[in-house]
Amino acid sequence: MFNQLKARFGSGLAVGVIGMIAIWIIAMVVLPQLLMVDYSFRPNLLPAEIGGPKDVYSLVNYQTLFTNKIHLEIFFKTIWSSVLVTGLTLIVSYPIAFYLAKVATPQKAALCLVLLIIPFWINEILRTFAWYIILAYKGPLNALLLWLGFIHRPIRFLSGDGGVLIGMVYAYILFMIFPIYNAIESLDTNQIKAARNLGAGWIRTHWRVVIPHAKPGIATGCIMTFMLAAGSYAVPSILGSPGSRWFTQIIYNWFFEGGDWNQGAAYAFLLLVICIGFIALVMRVFKVGLGDIAK
Amino acid sequence: MDSSVHLDNVVMQFGEFTAIQKTDLQIESGEFFSFLGPSGCGKTTILNMISGFLEPTHGDVKIGGQSMRGVPANKRPTSMIFQNLALFPLMTVAENIEFGLEVRGVSKAERKKTSDRLLELVALDGSGSKKVTELSGGQRQRIAIARALAVEPRVLLLDEPLSALDLKLRQHMRAELKDIQRKTGITFIYITHDQGEALTMSDRVGVMSAGRLQQVADPITLYRDPHTSFVASFVGENNGIEGKVLSLNNGMAEMDCGQLGRLQGRVHNTVKAGDQATLFIRPEHFRLQAEDNMLTIPSKIEEVNFEGAYLTLNANTAATKLAIQLGAHQFSESLVAGADISLSYKVEDAIILGAAEYV
Repeated sequence: MFNQLKARFGSGLAVGVIGMIAIWIIAMVVLPQLLMVDYSFRPNLLPAEIGGPKDVYSLVNYQTLFTNKIHLEIFFKTIWSSVLVTGLTLIVSYPIAFYLAKVATPQKAALCLVLLIIPFWINEILRTFAWYIILAYKGPLNALLLWLGFIHRPIRFLSGDGGVLIGMVYAYILFMIFPIYNAIESLDTNQIKAARNLGAGWIRTHWRVVIPHAKPGIATGCIMTFMLAAGSYAVPSILGSPGSRWFTQIIYNWFFEGGDWNQGAAYAFLLLVICIGFIALVMRVFKVGLGDIAK
Repeated sequence: MDSSVHLDNVVMQFGEFTAIQKTDLQIESGEFFSFLGPSGCGKTTILNMISGFLEPTHGDVKIGGQSMRGVPANKRPTSMIFQNLALFPLMTVAENIEFGLEVRGVSKAERKKTSDRLLELVALDGSGSKKVTELSGGQRQRIAIARALAVEPRVLLLDEPLSALDLKLRQHMRAELKDIQRKTGITFIYITHDQGEALTMSDRVGVMSAGRLQQVADPITLYRDPHTSFVASFVGENNGIEGKVLSLNNGMAEMDCGQLGRLQGRVHNTVKAGDQATLFIRPEHFRLQAEDNMLTIPSKIEEVNFEGAYLTLNANTAATKLAIQLGAHQFSESLVAGADISLSYKVEDAIILGAAEYV
């Protein structure tokens, strides 16, 4: 890489570019993470005791999660709910992506994309608050449903996981739509016509032709949505109820309310490792390679 | 089984634009029919109307006498071979061929039997487990044919399927397509801009231009007896000499061709005395020696090309350039660039057509 840069820009600029990338990766990513790894293996001590005889490496912080039943439950609930969010987002996004890529005229597709993107110019917290208002017990959604006669008394959307799920599907929908849209767009339209021509109905055309082709895009979208959902903090803290705490909230509490950075770091790494492992497993099951995703 | 196709006064409009002018055409059961025309003439639109991807604005498509109005593409007894073949790259060769049967709920064993039989028909036995990407262009072509035949269509639609192949393979595939058509007895509707393909394979050819069917005829008639000046100049090579019709007499006409004087030719359509018209003479109809009943055009050789079995000459006349084709045995030392020659033609070999006429 250095030689290519040097050939194009000369050695001065090449050193500069590489140096900046190196500083970025080492100082901003690698070192802080290493510090956190270091923290996670050490006990939480008073400043005076740091470096003393009590300051030894151990797995105690990691064991805490497995001995605390409530935390463990929240941990698995977070993973499961993130799977749910991913699934729901996929169900909502796939038809939109297909419409944009293959059905809409270029003008309509461009208009839809703009309309999809504009709300995301607004801060995530504000967008989530908007949902808080919409879903409130005396909010507009309940009022509408009551008026239409679908329900007889308001629903408490925000008391269970419902509010969190809706908020997250909305927050991450673009991360799902765009990769799938890109993948479907690269499908030759004649393939769809050929399937129709050979007698396939719409469901089979999608199942046998469009979805297999779009699989890398679907995988990319699902991974992004899952990681964002599992690591989300704003949505569950605004739309969540006391009964629907997210694991990120526990980590936050360890850091900023418990003041126990060591414990918080260990929890954060456990979440990271399990999420990566989970994704690797799912990729294996659906026979998606890393190369497919990088496409 | 009746697998005729009837375009019953169809019209196709896209907004203000009329892609297909009112067309009424009966394609017989088991016929090899080609639509020939330059790109943008509407031939693919016709194919899309027959296959059900487009619904005609007016009129009706009838297959085997049954109206196809409202019948979606996946319920029509047609099967299409796409220009880019559109094989499914993520499926094996056998899965591709069996796809249409899978859709129809045919059992696995039955499907296998069919795909084996079709692979044999297209001379690719034993390639069922291969990936589509492992095959060469010509092999893919044949898989596309097998896939389209697997669903036992009554009508096979071919959208310039040979255009991506090199010349040799194309000629080979022509013969093969013709052969398959004979074996299966299915109606073939073939779309092409290549007149060679249309003329060699088809029972009948429909020449199209600007959304209008100009002439429908068997290849020989189309070549010998074009009905419009578009057909005369699009099918085969032709020399056109412009002029004004002076008189008509018993199927013949005399034209004033300006500096070339008065020339005669056959006429059989609605050309009237006083009309602007074009006299068409094929390059191979010129002779160097005049015989009885021949007319002569003096000209000067510009270029001589020896092409093996024949010679082509380009010659300048007082009014226009002419292309001439002679048998190689007619070559003589005097045929060199710059030499004066007289080109003669039989009156009945020339045909006079009005400028913008339709059938």
